[in-house]
Amino acid sequence: MSELNEYLNELKASARQVMDGEGTAAEEATLWPLTVELGWLLTAVPEELDGLGLGVHGVSMLHTELGRGLAQVPFLAATLAVDALVQSDIDTKAELISRFTTGDAVTAPLADVSTVTLTDTLNGKLSVVPSADTASDVLVCVDDCVVLVKLHQAGVELSARGTWDTTRRLFDVTFSNVVLANQVVLARGDAAVAMIARLQSLRDFALAADCVGAAAGLLDITIEHLNTREQFGRPLALFQALKHRCADMKTLIDAAEALLADSLSRITDEQLAEIDSQLLAKKAKLVACSMFADVSEEALQLHGGIGMASEHPCHLFLKRSMLNEHLGSGNGNYELDIADHFLAQLA
Amino acid sequence: MMSESDTQTLRQEVRTWLQDNVPSGWRDAMTGVDQESFVQLQREWFGKLSKAGYATPHWPEGWPGGGRSLAEQKVIYEEVARADAPRLIMYFVALYHAACTLMECGTEAQKEKYLPGILNGEIWCQGFSEPNAGSDLASLKTRAERRGDKYIINGQKTWSTMAQYADRCLLLARTDSSGPPQAGQTYLLLDMKSPGVTVVPINQITGDDEFAEIFFDNVEVPVEDLVGEEGQGWAVAQATLASERGLTLVELSQRMRYALPMLAETLKERGLLEDTALRRDLGKVIARVDACCALADQYLLKRISGEEKVGDASMVKLCYAQTLREYTKLGRRISGLQGQFDPDFMRGATQETGNWTLDFMNSYNWSIAGGSNEIQRNIISERVLGMPREPKTWKL
Repeated sequence: MSELNEYLNELKASARQVMDGEGTAAEEATLWPLTVELGWLLTAVPEELDGLGLGVHGVSMLHTELGRGLAQVPFLAATLAVDALVQSDIDTKAELISRFTTGDAVTAPLADVSTVTLTDTLNGKLSVVPSADTASDVLVCVDDCVVLVKLHQAGVELSARGTWDTTRRLFDVTFSNVVLANQVVLARGDAAVAMIARLQSLRDFALAADCVGAAAGLLDITIEHLNTREQFGRPLALFQALKHRCADMKTLIDAAEALLADSLSRITDEQLAEIDSQLLAKKAKLVACSMFADVSEEALQLHGGIGMASEHPCHLFLKRSMLNEHLGSGNGNYELDIADHFLAQLA
Repeated sequence: MMSESDTQTLRQEVRTWLQDNVPSGWRDAMTGVDQESFVQLQREWFGKLSKAGYATPHWPEGWPGGGRSLAEQKVIYEEVARADAPRLIMYFVALYHAACTLMECGTEAQKEKYLPGILNGEIWCQGFSEPNAGSDLASLKTRAERRGDKYIINGQKTWSTMAQYADRCLLLARTDSSGPPQAGQTYLLLDMKSPGVTVVPINQITGDDEFAEIFFDNVEVPVEDLVGEEGQGWAVAQATLASERGLTLVELSQRMRYALPMLAETLKERGLLEDTALRRDLGKVIARVDACCALADQYLLKRISGEEKVGDASMVKLCYAQTLREYTKLGRRISGLQGQFDPDFMRGATQETGNWTLDFMNSYNWSIAGGSNEIQRNIISERVLGMPREPKTWKL
């Protein structure tokens, strides 16, 4: 375990260095090829499939670092799709994993708002799909079927959605009579249900990590601002009213980070589909996303006028935090899920 | 370092013992009762815990129950929380602050004289805070004047937990006013039965009176009860204030988690299980409590591995105080109008009695005592975030 931790820490340090070099909200066009080149997509892929075998721990660490820099890359979507491939037992799995981790991009929706129905054909709309225009395939989960669908074929229509959060390029993907037989079915039945549950846990943990990293990065920027900006002949950081708000932000961030780390330490990769893991992931996501929303609201206020200027990155954090709250199945549903599970256990 | 199986063995042992020994129905027995019954329960519980060796796990090896590692102490605290055992609030200062002060800074004679008494259930209180020295403890004014082989004490202390039951007091008093406020303070061990000591309990907003004021009128303390050197009291106090740092917060956070079913129970009793807004708030609180437990846990693990940093403890305390406020507030909201009736209080219950109005008011104990939230925020912003310190001077 300690050897693994050491390795993770090294990876974290190098990821931090890369992200610091690229700067806040680095462009997808430059950062994505770098992400692929650095092999980050292979982080959670098992060693026997030529990955690093670092599992959900390793990939969470990267999500944190990418969140910190507000990276404009569809890393989360791609890791979900790659994980689905890893879990599948299709013949072409090794080949597809290699393709999607080193060359072509694959994507997946980040919210549970699909209207896609499946018979012999796929119909309906998949929403919140990042960078669908530059990806070759998208992962589609419908009830008890997980399928990889080519994005550039007849019957598939992409429509870019303008979003307040400009660090993600989101698309609606509409399917009209797309023939299932021509796509790659990754799982069906119980296996698909388990796969979908696992993907939800992974997504929730990843979003939690994204929030933790981004909030920590934003607090750093905010404190730097308070330390340098002077009013009334002194740095703003001398005002207790402002210092105390930073202390609250720091405490919220550390608690969310501790919950994420604690939750991850309680499960193995193999348990991700279990109900307890799903619940841990939901709690981590809920706490981290609420925290990031609180922190980014405060940060904007603490920046004063400059925070309202688009040239300053403050608003990018706020917008990412607002979107994050609604990803997955939305914070409100997570609150209910957690309470209802708790109540059911008592009954 | 403890192995996983050692931890499990200890955990099982403590769990079994607690199952057999926690006084059943102690909360009911403590509701609305007089002080004597409360003191009786505390004494009995201390006697049992102490005999079993679970009251002094933090004492050094060689002492009964002592020699436990932090990891082992953590297990014991977690199990105490899990069993919803009474908290030893009457003995807390004796077992932690007094004992640790003596062990770290006391003379051999002082250790011999006082430590066995603590093991036998002597009650100690803390004489630190004063009416005009709360958050700004360093500005305390109670005087200790050296006359021959005695110190003569004059002044007033306040917010002293359980002082009305205490046999002895850890006293921080001023022997010199000429230097900066931290200098000139002296740490003394005071016999509460000395002539000139008057204790006046403070009636709290909850109806309980856990705290008291202590007045000193020419009280004599023999020189052999000086701890450390004269004028070094501040350093002595700082060295031992944090002896249970982390452990208590782990225990309290866990207690909050184990008491979550009471929130659900209140929701059910009030027929509000279909209230989506309240259920959502319950979900939020459950997740927050888990986060608080995780933070406390992580902090203690850092202490165990020696990675603790200045200010880490402040974040845990602030997080706990705020989570507890939110938690008890939700209970109060769920209780509705009914929560405003029957203002019975429960002695020594601290938190999570299920009387949510009481619990809500008691939550202020944790945001005010032991360094208020505002003091913790000063520490976090200055020591963790590196923001500049408050200017020392001011004028209107």
